[in-house]
Amino acid sequence: MAASPRRAVGIVDYRAGNLRSIANAFDHLGCEVVIVTREADFDGLTHLVLPGVGAFGHCAQNLRDSGLLPAVTRWALNDARPLLGICVGMQLLADASEELGEHAGLGWIHGRVQRLPAAERGVRLPHVGWNTVRFVAATAGFVAGESEDFYFDHTYGFFCADPRNIAAECTHGVTFAAAVRRDNIVAAQFHPEKSQDAGLRFLAGFLAST
Amino acid sequence: MVKKRLIPKLLLKRRRLGTVERMVLVTTRGYEQVIEVGDPVSQAKIYEAQFADELIFLNIDSSPIEPQAPLLDVLRRAASETFMPIAAGGGVRTTDDFELLLANGADKVCVNSAAIADPSLIERAAAIFGAQCVVVSIDYRHDAQGSRVFVDGGRTATPLDPIEWAVRAAALGAGEILLTDIARDGSGEGLDLPTIRAVADRVSVPVIASGGCGLARHFVEGFLDGHAEAVAAGTFFCFRDQNPMQTRAHVRNAGVPIRVKT
Repeated sequence: MAASPRRAVGIVDYRAGNLRSIANAFDHLGCEVVIVTREADFDGLTHLVLPGVGAFGHCAQNLRDSGLLPAVTRWALNDARPLLGICVGMQLLADASEELGEHAGLGWIHGRVQRLPAAERGVRLPHVGWNTVRFVAATAGFVAGESEDFYFDHTYGFFCADPRNIAAECTHGVTFAAAVRRDNIVAAQFHPEKSQDAGLRFLAGFLAST
Repeated sequence: MVKKRLIPKLLLKRRRLGTVERMVLVTTRGYEQVIEVGDPVSQAKIYEAQFADELIFLNIDSSPIEPQAPLLDVLRRAASETFMPIAAGGGVRTTDDFELLLANGADKVCVNSAAIADPSLIERAAAIFGAQCVVVSIDYRHDAQGSRVFVDGGRTATPLDPIEWAVRAAALGAGEILLTDIARDGSGEGLDLPTIRAVADRVSVPVIASGGCGLARHFVEGFLDGHAEAVAAGTFFCFRDQNPMQTRAHVRNAGVPIRVKT
């Protein structure tokens, strides 16, 4: 990344999990990292990350309460600038989630977040560990047809209404969206910041988007 | 298909070096006979270079988790220098302890004695942080009284049966169960396969088997005979002329789905 222009990555801090690992990974890639807690923090950013760990309803409520949602919406929809959702940060982009009751999402990428069916023999929940991600569209430096192992830790999965939004798939009893995309928005169910070399490559690929 | 996992377990103890308290990496045998082996963060970086799938840090002093706790310093440094999942525990009492560990670099939290004293801790932690974040660690021994769960670092017996407690912990919201047979800890004699399998077959969450790995074959047995999703080992990776990469090759050759890195 040495020759590429300066990147300033903002990580939205809305009290939904650990931002440290994501910040460390972008720091490792040579970026300036800004923990975004107020609107003024958006100044000078080139890329934005929406993280999220925990229950969907808890995360959605905290994002609304944070006061940052209007600025995130302007960034991602009005200005069409690069946004990366990670884990529940990806799920929040959906229309709704059924985790612990029905909760509305942002509806930026149509689909529902549903519990992965665990009935199949040998399939345990939560889905914890390294699983094969098959890219079906060019995404964050990966090309269609490429497969790589990434680290997952979740119970609910994103099921897209429009297959054109599916960037990558993964199978755990059922096939679900491992990554989704729409124009300037990309999001991953897996944790790139915890996926060693493959994850750093994914994050570097996101940084290459403008 | 989700891959089976090899997890180095890093046991930590406080040592006063001059005026500074630091955590050192140790191994144990039967939760006693503590041997100091080095610096935990350096070792974590070595494990990452060897493609370990995940790391578990356990503070065996079980000292309180407070903002100045040396355990948090280890986690912060490990999380800034490795890019892999980290579970941490030892001394976890409250959901505030979960929050401190997570804020300092852990992705998951191992809870043991406190979950037995108050099982609602599992439910409360799962509601706040998600079940995927809650690892219930169960230490047990087989003795003349049968199989019993022990707390306080293996010192205090409880009336609980390890299999029944694992089933209950999973029902309360544990996302994973870490099982350790205290008598086999550091022995190299192999895993307690009957108990591991009994738990794995009765819970739907992943089981991490630990205690007794002395040969690469023992990992294969944990997966194929014990039905474990992951096998954790401390002494094996610290002392033997073995590392996660070599072990991975053995496991793969036995036909177990595992991440391939060469």
